[in-house]
Amino acid sequence: MTELSVDSRELEGIVLLYPRGFINAHTVRLFEGEIQKALDQGRYRIVVSGADLKYIASAGLGAIMGVVEEIRTNGGDIRMAELNETVRNIFDILGFNHLYRIFPSEVEAVLSFREGGGTGSPPA
Amino acid sequence: MSDRRPALVLRVPSRTEFLAAIRDATRRMAAVAGFDDAQADQLALAVDEASTNVIEHAYRGAPGRTIEVRFQDGDGVLRVEVVDDGEPVDPRSVPQVDLQRYASERRTGGLGMHLMGRIMDSVTFRRAARRNVCCMVKKRPAAGSGAAP
Repeated sequence: MTELSVDSRELEGIVLLYPRGFINAHTVRLFEGEIQKALDQGRYRIVVSGADLKYIASAGLGAIMGVVEEIRTNGGDIRMAELNETVRNIFDILGFNHLYRIFPSEVEAVLSFREGGGTGSPPA
Repeated sequence: MSDRRPALVLRVPSRTEFLAAIRDATRRMAAVAGFDDAQADQLALAVDEASTNVIEHAYRGAPGRTIEVRFQDGDGVLRVEVVDDGEPVDPRSVPQVDLQRYASERRTGGLGMHLMGRIMDSVTFRRAARRNVCCMVKKRPAAGSGAAP
């Protein structure tokens, strides 16, 4: 079984990433690469749709942390959707829920860009 | 009276490719000990982080060393020890988690250790026989109970 695959698609100028599997120190380069592809194309509105993401280790959180400033400086944001209980707990444990907007569904995450345009971190 | 028994010892090369084997063994041992799937994933994450720390810090990326992971299911807990014979690691040198600093400086040092501490009931470090031993303990769920946070 592949440890991680990351599909992507674009919708209304938003890049949706679908990590499937585990993001850890071994697989994080693939995840980083997919984010970087979006940035290289000038796409700064990104949704990580995590329905098939089993877990994310600190290496993966670091990958997100490493690009968020560039993304927000360029008027975009990276938002999370459909995280399972394990991954959602990890975000909560580390306080990442205060740094990133997390939505129950992919649709809500996409619509949030339409409604709020939206740069920046979530309300505290 | 103790019901502790040796359960499983896993030795893998100090390469990130083998984190999957460590994760699979941890999930299996967690299931045997009575943890549900979500808890098993969290335990696997904690052991993944401890093993990654060994690769990155104790062995400084050297791929030809050995990580030993010892699992014991007994006395009402699952005990996992991650052992290396690399350079002594002082957990006190790990920075405190500071999300604002992480955001501004793009640093994530200490996140893994923090995760381990939040997932497990205890995380301790000792140096014994020229080895670093990271000991993580998680209480087994009571029979018939649901998932604990």
